[in-house]
Amino acid sequence: MTAELGNLKGYDPFADTEDNDGSGAGIQGGLIHIRIQQRNGRKTLTTVQGIHPKFDLKKLARVCKKKFNCNGTVVEHPEYGEVIQLQGDKREAMNSFLSEVGIASSDLIKVHGF
Amino acid sequence: MADEDELIPFDLMKKKKKKKKTGFDLDAALNEDGAADGSPSQATENKAEETPASADLEDLSLDMDFGGLKKKKKKKKAFDMEEVGDALPQEDGSNQTAGEGGDFGMDDEFSLDLGKKKKKKKSRNTEDFDEEIDRDEEDTGADQPDGSNNKAWSSSDRDYTYDELLLRVFDIMREKNPEMIAGDKKRFVMRPPQVLRVGTRKTSFANFADICRLLHRQPKHVLAFLLAELGTSGSVDGNNQLLIRGKYTQKQIENVLRRYIKEYVTCHTCRSRDTILQKDTRLFFLQCETCGSRCSVASIKTGFQAVTGKRAAIRAKTA
Repeated sequence: MTAELGNLKGYDPFADTEDNDGSGAGIQGGLIHIRIQQRNGRKTLTTVQGIHPKFDLKKLARVCKKKFNCNGTVVEHPEYGEVIQLQGDKREAMNSFLSEVGIASSDLIKVHGF
Repeated sequence: MADEDELIPFDLMKKKKKKKKTGFDLDAALNEDGAADGSPSQATENKAEETPASADLEDLSLDMDFGGLKKKKKKKKAFDMEEVGDALPQEDGSNQTAGEGGDFGMDDEFSLDLGKKKKKKKSRNTEDFDEEIDRDEEDTGADQPDGSNNKAWSSSDRDYTYDELLLRVFDIMREKNPEMIAGDKKRFVMRPPQVLRVGTRKTSFANFADICRLLHRQPKHVLAFLLAELGTSGSVDGNNQLLIRGKYTQKQIENVLRRYIKEYVTCHTCRSRDTILQKDTRLFFLQCETCGSRCSVASIKTGFQAVTGKRAAIRAKTA
């Protein structure tokens, strides 16, 4: 009995959070948010927030730009960490890209906007 | 029911007519049948409810699977009753009168409607395959245990089969709460949002207050969700319409509203929309009035907002 109870102590509930502390890898549960913003005219901007910082976002952005035929950048945000911005409505493309490459499973990706 | 007649399903304008109509003939049929007999009226209701459901199979999520569930339950019940046959001619008559009384332009649609109903009742071959499969399953499940087998195992010593027990449990459920079945099959119909362009850069959501009332939600909450999802700014003006910055079509707003309803209005357990949203210690809880479940819902977060305006203007403001 005591031995079994002892097992409880060995478990560190924060063990799997790793480098998640303070680096802002997404606010809730590692969810990746893909949002869209309207700019002037019929132009739009896609933002991808919450990709885990263990990935090199600059490289990701470079690949995305090439793959989706658009321009884009990575911006640093004090609360949300690094955020990829892409020109145009690339939500669907980004969604499939992220799950294809294996950065996040599709249930962890949340697509916002209309 | 009368209320729902006014409501337009939450789809494209084209569909509106059709649904309104079926809703109408259903009501009329119900009224006349209800006067005639108790049980057949239920049967007709079942059939009538089904036609709109099958009519917009492509219509999404909110009520689809729900509808399927109901269908099954309904189906069984319908077959239990022998009166269905008796009710048939009478019901057809009532339908026709309803159609003639209602509107004349829809004759073709209406006859189609009738045909469906007849088919279902007599030969039960519809054009909908999955529906048919559903029904077939029900048939095999419901027909043999019914009447004969139900009592068969109570007298004999043999083991119950799964089907029998399943049937028994559903029978008991239906017996114990008839209102559940009755209330269950109501389709979730919504007024479509009226979205107009105001000038070139703003969009007006004219019946915003109406829709909030319909959903029993605070306009403030809906507003926060809409703006967060669309990633813009906006406000409610004097005559309770919502002005949103940016160009949006009705369809886009509809999509966002649909997501709102899915997340914050329908119960996550039983999908009833008879729910209350309460704030409790900084968290929002969705309390279901039908099944009594209570679960927390995600708080509305705007998330990252990129700079889209003029940077110089922002800098001037902050500095």
